[in-house]
Amino acid sequence: MNRDHHTLDQNGFDYMENSGREEQDRDTVGMVFALILMAVLTVGQYMGLY
Amino acid sequence: MTSYSISLAYDTDRRSIWSCLYSFREVLPGLLAMLFIAIFSNNMPGVPNPFTLENLFVYLDNVIGPINGQPFFQIMNSNFVWNPLLLGLLIGNFFGVPDLWKRGLSYIHALMPLGILMLAPHFMIGHAFKLGIVPVLISVGAIFFTATLTLYLSRLFKLDDRQGATLAGALSTGDPHVCAIMMPMTKARGGQVVHSAICVILFGALASMVFPFISHLFNMPEKYAGFAAALGIGNGHQALSAAFGVGYEAGRYAHYFDIGRHVFMPAGFLYVFFIMLVRKLRHPESPNVHATGSIQKVPLYILAFIACWGLTCLHVFKEPTHHQIFNLVIWDFSLAAGALGLSIPFKEITRHGLKGFAVTCLSGMIRLVLLFTVLGLCIKTGLLA
Repeated sequence: MNRDHHTLDQNGFDYMENSGREEQDRDTVGMVFALILMAVLTVGQYMGLY
Repeated sequence: MTSYSISLAYDTDRRSIWSCLYSFREVLPGLLAMLFIAIFSNNMPGVPNPFTLENLFVYLDNVIGPINGQPFFQIMNSNFVWNPLLLGLLIGNFFGVPDLWKRGLSYIHALMPLGILMLAPHFMIGHAFKLGIVPVLISVGAIFFTATLTLYLSRLFKLDDRQGATLAGALSTGDPHVCAIMMPMTKARGGQVVHSAICVILFGALASMVFPFISHLFNMPEKYAGFAAALGIGNGHQALSAAFGVGYEAGRYAHYFDIGRHVFMPAGFLYVFFIMLVRKLRHPESPNVHATGSIQKVPLYILAFIACWGLTCLHVFKEPTHHQIFNLVIWDFSLAAGALGLSIPFKEITRHGLKGFAVTCLSGMIRLVLLFTVLGLCIKTGLLA
């Protein structure tokens, strides 16, 4: 099998492959970080921190 | 080991949602690669590095001189997404991507929903209503019409549905960035995303040159020629270049009317996503249905985006919070675009041929002619002053 040298490593890990449970976890982690950052910045302004 | 068995290994080793971040030692080289691509591509907020691709383009813009008052590289859409993508493409294709980087580069899949969600405070619908109700209705109509028309034409041209959806999202909203935003929703491949962005950028550049002639053909007043440029060309400096090609007043009005397109952009890309998702759910076995991939229901981050967009419209995110959040969006998309660029061999982009470009040009030109017709009718009937 030809290996895609751009995305696939020698252990078979393809960094552009995104499916199943791993995809859901990545989506959730991204969402949690986004909500935390937005909440901190918004609440920070309301509290007069900047 | 196949990617299926890798996925199984992830499920076996998984302890919590944080397992997708792997260990710090594994991901550090990839994260550093993304970081250095980002800070040598753009003038990143908080990084005083003058040796960036962005500054090189600004220098070259000053050498070339403006086109209708607009910098050439801005017309070609040089920005915080496409600069790192270009640098990543060059590095990946000329020097390769070391295996050591790949765990870290996989963070692109967490960065995409993160960036999409943080874009929500950017779209304050209330700002559009200073234009009046008729221009708002025309703006919204143009977005939905273009999205529907592009999806229809891509089906007619037998284009891969992932690319058709990506094109529909980007062309309808008038912003090539949206190709990247569509990627996690339509599950388009990297090559399709870049190919679609090139199609939209090239169409915009060509259309902005033809635009003044069409405007004179329709005898359009400069004010509404500016409106037509904002909706029919989109993409910031391309619209301005097209409108300033008509006249000074048209250029100023393009800037004024652009808000009508801008704040409704999420409606455009969400519309395309929902259409593709419903289509996939109705025809799950069809060999021509690829868009949205394994997505079976609306992802949580899309629902969170819609909720945050609602909060934005209620003016929860005030200034300067909105600007601070947008600075984080710049960081997020710059990092992700670097990883995306590294993943794509040049032949992945070129193998999609010219069908995508034909669909973009046809859809874009139909939109432009219809816009002029509708604006002409509205002026004649007194709906637009």
